[in-house]
Amino acid sequence: MHNEHISVLLVDDDRMIRDCVGAYLEDEGFRVHGADSGEEGLAIIAAICPTVCISDMRLPGINGEEFIIQAHSICPAACYLLHTGMPYIPSDELHAIGMTADDVLLKPVHDLSKLVNKIKHIAVAGREL
Amino acid sequence: MLQISLIAILLALLLTTLVLRARVRKRAAELEREIEIHKRTEDSLLQSEEETRVLLAVNEHLKKSLSDILDTLPSVIVRVDQDGRVDLVNLRFEQFSGISAAKAYGMLLESLIPHFSAQLQQIAEVIDRQIPASNTMIQYRNGKELNYYSLQIYPLNGEASGKAVIRIDDITEHVRVEEIMVQTEKMMMVGGLAAGMAHEINNPLGAILQHAQNIERRVSTGIPANLKAAEEVGVSLELVRAYLQKRGIFDFIGHIRTAGVRASDIISNMLQFSRCREIGVEYVDLAALLDRVLELAGTDYDMKKKYDFRRIELQRDYAADLPTVQLTVAELEQVLLNIIKNAAQAMAVPAQCRPPRISLRTGLSEGMALIEIEDNGPGMDEATRLRVFEPFFSTKEVGVGTGLGLSVAYSIVTKEHHGSIEVRSRPGEGSCFAIKLPLRRRS
Repeated sequence: MHNEHISVLLVDDDRMIRDCVGAYLEDEGFRVHGADSGEEGLAIIAAICPTVCISDMRLPGINGEEFIIQAHSICPAACYLLHTGMPYIPSDELHAIGMTADDVLLKPVHDLSKLVNKIKHIAVAGREL
Repeated sequence: MLQISLIAILLALLLTTLVLRARVRKRAAELEREIEIHKRTEDSLLQSEEETRVLLAVNEHLKKSLSDILDTLPSVIVRVDQDGRVDLVNLRFEQFSGISAAKAYGMLLESLIPHFSAQLQQIAEVIDRQIPASNTMIQYRNGKELNYYSLQIYPLNGEASGKAVIRIDDITEHVRVEEIMVQTEKMMMVGGLAAGMAHEINNPLGAILQHAQNIERRVSTGIPANLKAAEEVGVSLELVRAYLQKRGIFDFIGHIRTAGVRASDIISNMLQFSRCREIGVEYVDLAALLDRVLELAGTDYDMKKKYDFRRIELQRDYAADLPTVQLTVAELEQVLLNIIKNAAQAMAVPAQCRPPRISLRTGLSEGMALIEIEDNGPGMDEATRLRVFEPFFSTKEVGVGTGLGLSVAYSIVTKEHHGSIEVRSRPGEGSCFAIKLPLRRRS
């Protein structure tokens, strides 16, 4: 799959994080969208249903976990990743929608090329499902 | 006529006899009473003698009991007169001062326990004004150990008025427990702060790391958007790269990334360490665990500043085929960090002439995982070695060690993990801690 066919939604209230991860992903050719809250993220999910959605955990309104659960009900085809500063094991609800410990990215991601590989991998795996 | 007079005489005689008899009887009764009284007096005299004896015995017993009570009390108790001269001491005083009661009597108390002389100046005033005086937290270095005492002076009244009782207590343990509580609270606060701070620092750290990576990529020739932008502003990307190379800017960017990764490792180690215990047991690779603890030790502020951890040579000899061990990471980290810190502290003594070295080994022993941590520091004598796992036993200065580190380590290894921990050591030859852990945790 060509990267331009992969869309990524970044949900993080820290613009700096959206910018630096976004810039890297754009350079890779992905289509990148950003949202600074779970609520805004849900609106974008409803409109575009991205290939991959990367969400922060601590967000101003609903938290990352809650956002993913709601987003999944709107767009079950997307693959969801949590991007958080604290070690975290996905809750039972997140397990139920197929998320594992591998889908938790610990901040800061030292090398974004690994994130790119992960996005490509899950984008392909998501297709096969 | 004669007959009549004879009868009269007989009658008179009879009468007299009767009267006499009555008198005799009366007197006899009186005598009997007197004897009885005598007897009673004698009895009561005897009885009071007995009572006196009993009273004396009771008195003696009371005295003995009182002195027993005084001797049993954990406090040093001394009675002094207005001039501060000793007229009564308990056993604890003799043990404390090393002076026998017989020698102490009549002596100035100040001359017997001179390190309390400042507090003893209050004696006269206490007796004068009949108000007790209280002093706590008096520091006194008894040989190697710094001890804390409290000293109270009470005025006596009644028969012994004009005198005072002095009570001295060793409150060292109490002060230490308080210190440990403060320390524990501090650690918990630091743990909480570390977790909060880590979270706050991760985002800016992410921006530093990732933007450094973005900069590298945006001056690369592999991305079409870069070539397009260069063409638009009329520069050659190759020339830009050549310039950046010549001025060492690629190196700077590399350094920014390396520094960022290092900072992020410190944060994640701190998080690992402050992680709650309920995370539970995991299957752990001992080599990775030891490496992480070493890294943690290297970033510990105290270790860096006081013991210069980086100057210590680390020798790792990890068994290649060791299976993972089921354990609670945070707890074992605490144990290992404590032993490594102790080793670093022990080797920081000025007398250490050989280059400091810590050897870490892992292996299997009788079906259990074995971790050995050996230093080449000053080691310890047998008396110290036998006591190292005792709570509150510390060879460090007050405030440096709580004396709890190794006892907590002992309880984590033996009680929480059903393993064993022991130490081999000889003065001048360093110390070696050996921890054995079952591969699978018993529930």
